[in-house]
Amino acid sequence: MDDWKASSLIKPFGARKKRSWYLTWKYKLTNQRALRRFCQTGAVLFLLVTVIVNIKLILDTRRAISEANGDPEPEQDYDEALGRLEPSRRRGSGPRRVLDVEVYSSRSKVYVAVDGTTVLEDEAREQGRGIHVIVLNQATGHVMAKRVFDTYSPHEDEAMVLFLNMVAPGRVLICTVKDEGSFHLKDTAKALLRSLGSQAGPALGWRDTWAFVGRKGGPVLGEKHSKSPALSSWGDPVLLKTDVPLSSAEEAECHWADTELNRRRRRFCSKVEGYGSVCSCKDPTPIEFSPDPLPDNKVLNVPVAVIAGNRPNYLYRMLRSLLSAQGVSPQMITVFIDGYYEEPMDVVALFGLRGIQHTPISIKNARVSQHYKASLTATFNLFPEARFAVVLEEDLDIAVDFFSFLSQSIHLLEEDDSLYCISAWNDQGYEHTAEDPALLYRVETMPGLGWVLRKSLYKEELEPKWPTPEKLWDWDMWMRMPEQRRGRECIIPDVSRSYHFGIVGLNMNGYFHEAYFKKHKFNTVPGVQLRNVDSLKKEAYEVEIHRLLSEAEVLDHSKNPCEDSFLPDTEGHTYVAFIRMEKDDDFTTWTQLAKCLHIWDLDVRGNHRGLWRLFRKKNHFLVVGVPASPYSVKKPPSITPIFLEPPPKEEGAPGAAEQT
Amino acid sequence: MSRINKNVILALLTLASSAFLLFQLYYYKHYLSAKNGAGLSKSKGSRLGFDSTQWRAVKKFIMLTSSQNVPVFLIDPLILELINKDFEQVKNTSHGSTSECKFFCVPRDFTAFALQYHLWKNEEGWFRIAENMGFQCLKIESKDPRLDGIDSLSGTEIPLHYICRLASHAIHLVVFHERSGNYLWHGHLRLKGHMDRKFVRFRKLQFGRYPGAFDRPELQQITVDGLEVFIPKDPVRFLEEIPHSRFIECRYKEARAFFQQYLDDNTVEAMAFRKNAKELLQLAAKTLKKLGVRFWLSSGTCLGWYRQCNIIPYSKDVDLGIFIQDYKSDIISAFQDVGLPLKHKFGKVEDSLELSFQGKDDIKLDIFFFYEETDHMWNGGTQAKTGKKFKYLFPKFTLCWTEFVDMKIHVPCETIEYIEANYGKTWKIPVKTWDWKRSPPNVQPNGIWPISEWDEVIQLY
Repeated sequence: MDDWKASSLIKPFGARKKRSWYLTWKYKLTNQRALRRFCQTGAVLFLLVTVIVNIKLILDTRRAISEANGDPEPEQDYDEALGRLEPSRRRGSGPRRVLDVEVYSSRSKVYVAVDGTTVLEDEAREQGRGIHVIVLNQATGHVMAKRVFDTYSPHEDEAMVLFLNMVAPGRVLICTVKDEGSFHLKDTAKALLRSLGSQAGPALGWRDTWAFVGRKGGPVLGEKHSKSPALSSWGDPVLLKTDVPLSSAEEAECHWADTELNRRRRRFCSKVEGYGSVCSCKDPTPIEFSPDPLPDNKVLNVPVAVIAGNRPNYLYRMLRSLLSAQGVSPQMITVFIDGYYEEPMDVVALFGLRGIQHTPISIKNARVSQHYKASLTATFNLFPEARFAVVLEEDLDIAVDFFSFLSQSIHLLEEDDSLYCISAWNDQGYEHTAEDPALLYRVETMPGLGWVLRKSLYKEELEPKWPTPEKLWDWDMWMRMPEQRRGRECIIPDVSRSYHFGIVGLNMNGYFHEAYFKKHKFNTVPGVQLRNVDSLKKEAYEVEIHRLLSEAEVLDHSKNPCEDSFLPDTEGHTYVAFIRMEKDDDFTTWTQLAKCLHIWDLDVRGNHRGLWRLFRKKNHFLVVGVPASPYSVKKPPSITPIFLEPPPKEEGAPGAAEQT
Repeated sequence: MSRINKNVILALLTLASSAFLLFQLYYYKHYLSAKNGAGLSKSKGSRLGFDSTQWRAVKKFIMLTSSQNVPVFLIDPLILELINKDFEQVKNTSHGSTSECKFFCVPRDFTAFALQYHLWKNEEGWFRIAENMGFQCLKIESKDPRLDGIDSLSGTEIPLHYICRLASHAIHLVVFHERSGNYLWHGHLRLKGHMDRKFVRFRKLQFGRYPGAFDRPELQQITVDGLEVFIPKDPVRFLEEIPHSRFIECRYKEARAFFQQYLDDNTVEAMAFRKNAKELLQLAAKTLKKLGVRFWLSSGTCLGWYRQCNIIPYSKDVDLGIFIQDYKSDIISAFQDVGLPLKHKFGKVEDSLELSFQGKDDIKLDIFFFYEETDHMWNGGTQAKTGKKFKYLFPKFTLCWTEFVDMKIHVPCETIEYIEANYGKTWKIPVKTWDWKRSPPNVQPNGIWPISEWDEVIQLY
């Protein structure tokens, strides 16, 4: 406080001033004229300076005081200012209150233009068939969602109903048909279109063209429709031009309390649509979860990399489950988005997480692979102290005890260098083959789908020789190759801690998902205490397996292993079966067995030195490949290993065999 | 008449000044009570200087950071210097017992704190709370340099600096980010177009003129002027680091362009060499650091860093530079102790010293000692067969930190001049055949060693 130093100087001045006044009088009496004059002028000047300094001082002090006492007041001021500012700013940004919207529907082309800007254009052949739906913000005119529902195909109309129901009232809806959109447009969907006020929508016929603009829950703003004259021809192209009046921002937005969270919510909800109750005005679903912290959390400071593409709805679901898992630390999460997509970035911002976009370098599988590399490198750059990273994908649900599972097992990765990874996913852990959430296995295959990577493995081995963009390899297939894996194994739980829900994907389709992923078991019990974690170490595990095999009851090998009766109707027993396996890479019988057990049979997963472990009818069921497996010694001499003939090759495996 | 007038004027002025004096007293009292009301009345005795703006700003800032769990520590050179002078006493004073404000009340424009970004859990909302407390804050953000090395990633921007002003004093919060190589990095304070250039006197800031790199300091909590703050455990070391903390980033964009033109060598041999060279460099760096010897990347290793942000796979050795004044006689034994035997030694400490150590898999570690003249630097070379001496001239340079193969390491700040001296203007074009006696444009013959000295100046093992 310089001011106050000044003040302490001034006080003596004041005192001296009084004395000098007295002296002046004294000098006057002595009648020494020149001296008197001088003293008088001096005194006057002095007094003047004192007055000025005092005035300045008072002004300064007043300012300092108001600054010092200012804390509570500016708080209110600030909030008020904010409240006043926001609406006015928005009002200022949109002087025009009407949007002019053009919608075109025809056999081979659809487009939508808002105020002269094309927001949808699709004239690609053999693509984009069905009803295109666009949602606009009624206050700003921004595109909030763009979807296409191929209602020529079954079930797509259900997705459309689901989507349209989620759109908030008041939004502007635009629909247009490309090629054909009526074949599988069922009554529920038609009823919904009727409720939106559409005339032609509910009556949409084979190869009709149709363009529609309306407000959800409000008036129809324009509609055009052209009937197809004959089965073999299409309706005439229709072009709908209409004006859409914009409403005020206040009407378009909900009145949530002004918190940091709701600010994020507001930003999100004014940009995108189709996320259900997160944008509900009355009762919005929370976007902060604060799950219980884990006692003694060993993975609190392990970075989590979420690998994502352009499936924002998946990412939304995934992040919800991830942020609800006990022991999660949100600041350790980074979402890597493959491409400059806005909507996934909006989802990331909604949850207040870090998002990184990646310019695509290559195509298809190689692109995914390059995205993985960049994401992993970036993760270890951003968290240089981390010794591990958790790798997740956008189409996974994360179990509530995911971090608890890792916290209990991660020390294995440090202590046992015969380990390649810890994965939350058991390839063979289906509803009917997994049972014990406290049980862990060692397997020679790398399951992926939620796993922990050791930094030294990545930095020293994988990163330098990661497949280059011109090699069209799957990163996970590459990681499973013997050159990379070098005989190391992964730790997996019996009951998976992740659930693969993605149906749309590079190597994924609905049929494939239904067959191989839908019935996967997923742990929902919080805080499971894992059993005997240290017995998963290399040597201890062998001891454990030998103990298991010794106490296992040998099944009746004369029965058909595909029959349900192969295993007795008991509970809690351990059974063993021996199958034929001539060499380390002979999986003929195993593949047939896997097929009839309805587990993963597209390649070999989940084996440990020719041994598979799973559950059947709540019994632990061991399968040993004889004679390749070292555990063949446990086979009683009287038993002949089961051999199953592969069926003659006619039907190939459906879809691609990969699960990226 | 005039005399009476004068008297009247005098009387009036006296009256006025007494009135103002009274005013002043009144305001002073008012001001004091206001300050005490704000909860600062811890000691009853006289507390000198505790009303300074500097102290109040720091006090508020510490209140803010401790209530919001913002992991900060004091890095202000001026105050650390003062604390360091009085270290024993500061450590012994318990909370609140100080009667005199000795450190935070020193007149200055800024107080600098560091924020450990990786420990910060609740970034959101902090800014608003600071503003509600009366701070006016400026946030300077930029893209994350840790993503620069990776092709085509773009993330959300990271905060680099916060400047929070309270009355006439400002807190400069320098955001320290963790980087690979166990060090902390802070960014360049670059004002963007729309920012208020007169917000504070930016020129006077102690940090942010350049990006900087620091060894991660251990921290300790102490009570200074009644305020609890974290400071580096070894303030002297931290203070010494400050003037030499300038950091330069590798030129990742140019390196990518280079690799587009001259594809990267990804053969097994190249990868093995890179791995071994990296390990050798890390081992050398560790050894020299332990000895306290400054060194930098020189010759081919420096070129590799500058041109391609990586080790040049066909360079076959690792090159370091050391100023001759930093030479220590135990360098050789220290390297031997970590499994790097001396391969040859040329020259002597007074002239053209050069050491070579044998790393594993036939990789050589060359250490060139640099001699300083009034207008240039040079290092020497010796041809073993003939005893010929060579001199390599460089323009004068200073040292900067950079990140290379997961390490914080020195390079000449004036890198381009250094490299052009050594490799000419065509350094961008890879050359696989290089004669160290003829190819460099900065080589000069420097006579011949007298035969009598050969035993000393040419030692081959």
